[in-house]
Amino acid sequence: MKRTLNINIGNSIIHIEEEAYEMLTAYLNEIKAHFATSADHYEIVTDIENRIAEMFREILSQQQKQVVEVGDVNHVIAQMGTVGQFEEVDEETESAVPPHHEGIKKLYRDTDEGIVAGVCAGFSHYLEVDVRWIRIIALISCFIGGSGILAYLIMWMIIPRAITRSEKMYMKGEAVNLHGFIRNFEEELAGNPLLKRSTGFIAELVEAIGRVLGKVGKLLLKIIAGFIILFGCFFLLFLCGTLAMVLGFWDANPNEYFPLNIVNSDYLSTMIFAFFISFAVPLVALILYAIRVFFNTRPINRTVSFGLLIIWLFGIMTSVFYITKVVSEFKEEAAFTEVRDLKPYGTYNLVINRSRFFSKEDSVRYQINSSAYRGRVILNDEDGPFQPPRNISLSIEKSDNGKTTLTQNFSAQGKNFDVALKHAQNIHYDFSQQDSVLNFSPQLQLTKNANWRDQRVDLILKVPVGAKLLLNRDFDRYLQRYGSWSCEGEDDYSEDVKVWTMTEDGLKCNQHKNDTPQTEAP
Amino acid sequence: MIAENTQTQMRKGILEYCVLLIISKGEIYASDIIAELRKAKLLVVEGTLYPLLTRLKNNGLLSYNWVESTSGPPRKYYLLTEAGRDMVTKLDVTWMELSYAIETSKQIKQ
Repeated sequence: MKRTLNINIGNSIIHIEEEAYEMLTAYLNEIKAHFATSADHYEIVTDIENRIAEMFREILSQQQKQVVEVGDVNHVIAQMGTVGQFEEVDEETESAVPPHHEGIKKLYRDTDEGIVAGVCAGFSHYLEVDVRWIRIIALISCFIGGSGILAYLIMWMIIPRAITRSEKMYMKGEAVNLHGFIRNFEEELAGNPLLKRSTGFIAELVEAIGRVLGKVGKLLLKIIAGFIILFGCFFLLFLCGTLAMVLGFWDANPNEYFPLNIVNSDYLSTMIFAFFISFAVPLVALILYAIRVFFNTRPINRTVSFGLLIIWLFGIMTSVFYITKVVSEFKEEAAFTEVRDLKPYGTYNLVINRSRFFSKEDSVRYQINSSAYRGRVILNDEDGPFQPPRNISLSIEKSDNGKTTLTQNFSAQGKNFDVALKHAQNIHYDFSQQDSVLNFSPQLQLTKNANWRDQRVDLILKVPVGAKLLLNRDFDRYLQRYGSWSCEGEDDYSEDVKVWTMTEDGLKCNQHKNDTPQTEAP
Repeated sequence: MIAENTQTQMRKGILEYCVLLIISKGEIYASDIIAELRKAKLLVVEGTLYPLLTRLKNNGLLSYNWVESTSGPPRKYYLLTEAGRDMVTKLDVTWMELSYAIETSKQIKQ
């Protein structure tokens, strides 16, 4: 494919290829210069132009084609004669011919001989220095703080590329006239492989390194793309699996588990689906892009990708809508308190009881006779990822009235106070006293289908001064202000149970349960 | 160089005479003049003809008519003026003289 131009020559419109046009222009310029001193130069040049136009028309109609090519211009010039041939015959104007001058030099990028963008090659033409020296200088300058690279990039942007034949000739400083053109043509036809061979060793080396780097870079990019496709597909499968699971295909009541029971069950499915879209669509887009890099093809068209974008935006908007809705459910907080008197003992043994008693709720859930649920226990201390946070805290304080009491403070959140209070009432917490043993449940229970609304139980155990408490290490997690770590000292800290005594100043750690002095073996 | 110069001078004079002779046969188009010259084996390129024609026209030896062409714009057809015909007659005489001079010169040499 070649670019063509429309020219008006001798009052005819002629289609002409760009190269042919440049050649013709150079020829006519030479003729004009030749006859410039003649008094009738306008008429002579017009006659010649008319004749050239006529010859073009003849050629086009004879060969039944549309466009004048370089060969046709050559043919016309041969018939019309070059300025040199005029001189042989016409001596009068001989003196008028300007001496054969070197053309004006202009700085262009030479992409034919260049390696990156032809900046160095362009400078070599401009400065008439062998390109290898300029390349060496450029390479060295790259190591001076990378200034060479920056300079190269700037010159790449500023210096125009030599595209047309006349630009290439300006670049090389050849006179833009017919001689120049013909020489240029011959060089191009005959000398192309020769020109390539004449670039020096350094140039070849640089070229080779560039080629290798290019190939390695491409390969690396493809490998990365391949990994993205592979892992992206795995992740997408995982996402689909998760969607199926949480939407309840594998489990009848997914909304009973912690992260999902935050959301009201009415719009759980919609929200899950919106989340799925928000994550899956970008993943699909990433995979498609990786496929494009890997296989060099465009797997989907513009419409489909636009559709994906719309779906994604829809998913995001739905997600945001429901997130704000759920967040608003945490606006108000409500709490109520229950105080329970405990039987007095000198020493209390505090135990985290992993088993819990059957509640009325459970008896319904597990279809056990409602009159028979008392006394049954469930061994249940799962501590997995789908358990709600253990919002239980225990603080031990000094009793003012000499009684031992346990204050249970239930609190929860909701969109208004009433709802929050209702949520707090949904809390079921197991605590029991068996003689001197106080059983604390490690977790609180919510009634069935209750949403998680940051329900928490704050326990305050008030004991009179002098009472002793045996605390298990397990309590560290729930105990406020005290912990087994504050009772260690020089003693063996592998001991599980520690003895604390209530004093006027608060709870003090005194001794181990079995504080028999260790005897050193000889 | 001297030989070339002499040749050029001779050709130049004869070319002008030949062109006038060709045109004297009737109205003619520039490229047909070239064709005639080729036939006469007086090899010239077309480009040299136009300045010559212009010069002859400006000296009043030639004139031209615009003639409609079947393809493209009208063409210039050249013809001799009175002065041109006089010139041809004069040149005929000159040519006879020159021809005689050359023939005679050759004979003397032999």
